[in-house]
Amino acid sequence: MNGAKQIIKKELTRVFTDKKLVISLFILPAVLIIGIYYFMGQMQTAMVNEIEKHVSTIDIQNVPEDFKETLASLKFDAHIQYLEPDEDLTAVKKDILNGTTDLLVVFEEDFLNKVSTYETGGVIPEVKTYYNNSEDYSNAARNNFVDTVLSAYQQKLLKERFEDIDQLTVFRVDVDPESSVIVDDKKAKGKIFGILLPYLITLMLFQGAMSLGIDAITGEKERGTMASMLLTPLNRREIVVGKLISVSILAGLSAAVYAVSMVFAMPVMVSGFGSDSLEGLSLKFSAVQVAELLVILAVMVYLYVAIVALASVLAKTVKEASAFVSPILIIVLVAGMATMFSGNEEKSLGMFAIPVYGNAISIQNILTGELTPVQFTATVGGTLLLAVILTVLITKAFNSEKVMFNA
Amino acid sequence: MIEIKNLTKVYKLTKKQMAEQKTKRNIKKAADNISLSAKKGEIYGLLGPNGAGKTTVLRCVATLLNPTTGEITVCGCDTVKEPKKVRESISFLTNEIKLDPQFSPKYMFNFFGRLHGMDDKTIDERRELLFNYFGIQDFRDKKINELSTGMKQKASIAVSLVHDPEVVIFDEPTNGLDIVTARSVTDYLKLLKEEGKAVIVSTHIMSEAEKLCDRIGIIINGRKVMDGTLSEILKETGTEDLEDAFFELYKEYSKEEA
Ligand SMILES: Nc1ncnc2c1ncn2[C@@H]1O[C@H](COP(=O)(O)OP(=O)(O)O)[C@@H](O)[C@H]1O
Ligand SMILES: [Mg+2]
Repeated sequence: MNGAKQIIKKELTRVFTDKKLVISLFILPAVLIIGIYYFMGQMQTAMVNEIEKHVSTIDIQNVPEDFKETLASLKFDAHIQYLEPDEDLTAVKKDILNGTTDLLVVFEEDFLNKVSTYETGGVIPEVKTYYNNSEDYSNAARNNFVDTVLSAYQQKLLKERFEDIDQLTVFRVDVDPESSVIVDDKKAKGKIFGILLPYLITLMLFQGAMSLGIDAITGEKERGTMASMLLTPLNRREIVVGKLISVSILAGLSAAVYAVSMVFAMPVMVSGFGSDSLEGLSLKFSAVQVAELLVILAVMVYLYVAIVALASVLAKTVKEASAFVSPILIIVLVAGMATMFSGNEEKSLGMFAIPVYGNAISIQNILTGELTPVQFTATVGGTLLLAVILTVLITKAFNSEKVMFNA
Repeated sequence: MIEIKNLTKVYKLTKKQMAEQKTKRNIKKAADNISLSAKKGEIYGLLGPNGAGKTTVLRCVATLLNPTTGEITVCGCDTVKEPKKVRESISFLTNEIKLDPQFSPKYMFNFFGRLHGMDDKTIDERRELLFNYFGIQDFRDKKINELSTGMKQKASIAVSLVHDPEVVIFDEPTNGLDIVTARSVTDYLKLLKEEGKAVIVSTHIMSEAEKLCDRIGIIINGRKVMDGTLSEILKETGTEDLEDAFFELYKEYSKEEA
C-alpha cells in the first residue's frame, strides 16, 4: 500500500500548498459561519434592547380617577396624555398608524360607576385599546400596558368588590411548574440539537466530498494527469484507495471546520434569542458515545466519497460529474430531513442498516443517549457494505478503457 | 523486445463521434491487423498522417488499451495478461498525458519514482542526471503550469524515464517544440538506443523519420503498408526519398478505404 500512501501525500500536499484552496475549503466557511451568526446575534440583541429602551407614547381617554394612582405605584414609564371625553379620536388613530403614538386606551364613559353598580347579568364595562400590530413599538406598548397596568388595575377593582379575592380561585394547577415536568434532562436537551445536527453534518460532508472528489477524479481525467498514474506498476485498486482516503480526509477536515466554527458561533447568535436553544450544547458525552459518533461519521464520509467518486469516474467532464452528483445530493438531503420529521415511534433494526437514513437516526439516538450496540453495528455495517460495493465498482471502472479513455 | 502480432483495435463510436468523423458506421477500425517488432538497440519509427492509428497502436503497447484481437508482448510479457510487468519496463510519452500542473518537475519526478518503488537515493541520482541533460535544473521548482511548452515537454520526458526503463515508447515527442529543443530530444533517443534500449517513436515528419529511425513502419488508415530500413523502403517503392515513397504508398492505399 506504499503507492496509496504516496497518492494520499500528494493529494494533501496539493490542497495545503494551494492558498486559494485552503481558504475556500477551510478558512472561508469558518469565517462566514461565525460572521453570519455573530451578525445575526448582534442584530437580534440590538433590536430587543432598542424596543426595551423605547418610552411609549400612550393616549388615554375617560381615565378613571384612581387609575393614575395605580400607574404611579407601578412606576410605569411612558409619555401619557389624557384626552378629553369628547375629543375626536381620528387624529390619534392616524398618529398610531404612522408610528408617532404607540397606543390609545379608551375607558367606557362613566367607567368607575358602571363597575361599582354592576349586578349579576348586567353589562360589563369595557377598556378598549387601539394599536398597530405591524409596529414593534406599538405592539410592545400594548402588551406591556395590558399585562402590567390593566391587570394590576383589575386586581385592585376586584379587591374592592370582593375583599378576599382568593375566593375567586377554586383550585390551582401546578403551583410549582418546575417540579411537575418529569423528563430525562439529557434526552430533552439532545432532542433539540439532535434534530438539526445530523442534517447539517450530512450536508457539510457531502458538500466537501462533492467539490473535492469531482476535482480529484474527473478533474484529473480531464486534465490528462490520471493516465500518467495508470502507467505506473501500481495496482488500480491502490490508486482508488489512495484517492478515496485522501478525499475522505479532506472532506472530513472541511466538515470538522464547519462543525467547530458552528459550535463556537452558536452562543454568539443564541445570546440574542434567549438561552433555551443553547441547552443542547451543554450536552456531555461519554467516551463510548464519542467513539460511536466518530465511527459513524467516518463510515458516512467513506460512503459519500465513494458515491461521488463513482459518479466522477463515470463522467467525462467536470460539468457532467456535477450533473450526476446533484440528484444524489438531493436524495441524501431528503433522507437526512426525513429524520427531522419522523416522529418518536420505535424504528426497526432494518431502518438503522439503511445507509444515509440509518446514519442520521443513529446520530440522533446518540445525542439522546439511546443508541443500542446492535443498532450501532447495523448502521455501521449497512453503510460500510454499500461503500465497499461502490469501491469495487469504482475499481472496475478504473480498469475499463471505455471509462478511462473513452475507447 | 516489442512484438506486435496481428493487432486490431476497433473503437465503438458514439453518435457524436460518428458525426465528427463523417461516417455512418458505428465502429472505427483504428488499427487493422498490424504486426511489427522493435528490438534492443534500435529505434523503430511509426510514420503516418494524422488519424492513421499511430497513437492507438502505441497505447495498446503501453497497456492503456487492450487489443480487440491480436497480441502484444513487451520484454516477453503479454500486455493484457501481465500489464504490471509491462508497465515496470516501459516509458510512455504522449501529448494527451500530462503532469499535474500544480506541482514542480522535481516533485513530480520524485512522486513517480516512488510509485515505481525506487528509493530516495536512486531517485536523486536519476534526477540529477536527467535534469542536467535536459536543462531542467533552472526551473525544477517552478509549478508546471508556469512553464513553456518546451519546458513542459522536457519535464514530461525526464519524469517518464525516472525508472530507467528497457523500452521507450514516445508518441510524436517533438510535436510543437522549437528546433533546438526537438534536437535535444532526438539526440537523447539516440543515446538511449546506444544504451541498448528498444525505442519506438511515432511521427508524421518525414525528415525526422529519415534521420532518426533505424527501421520505419508506414501506417495508412490503420494498416501497416510497408516496413524496413530506409534503403529497403526506397528500393521497394523505387523512389529517391522517404517523402516520395510515402506518397507512392499513400496513392495506392488511401483509396482502398470505403
Ligand atoms: N477514443 C476513441 N474513440 C473513437 N475513435 C477514436 C478514439 N481515439 C482515436 N479514434 C480514431 O481512431 C483513428 C486513429 O486515431 P489515432 O490513433 O489517434 O491516430 P494518430 O495518432 O495516427 O493521429 C482516428 O480516426 C481517430 O479519430
Ligand atoms: Mg496521435
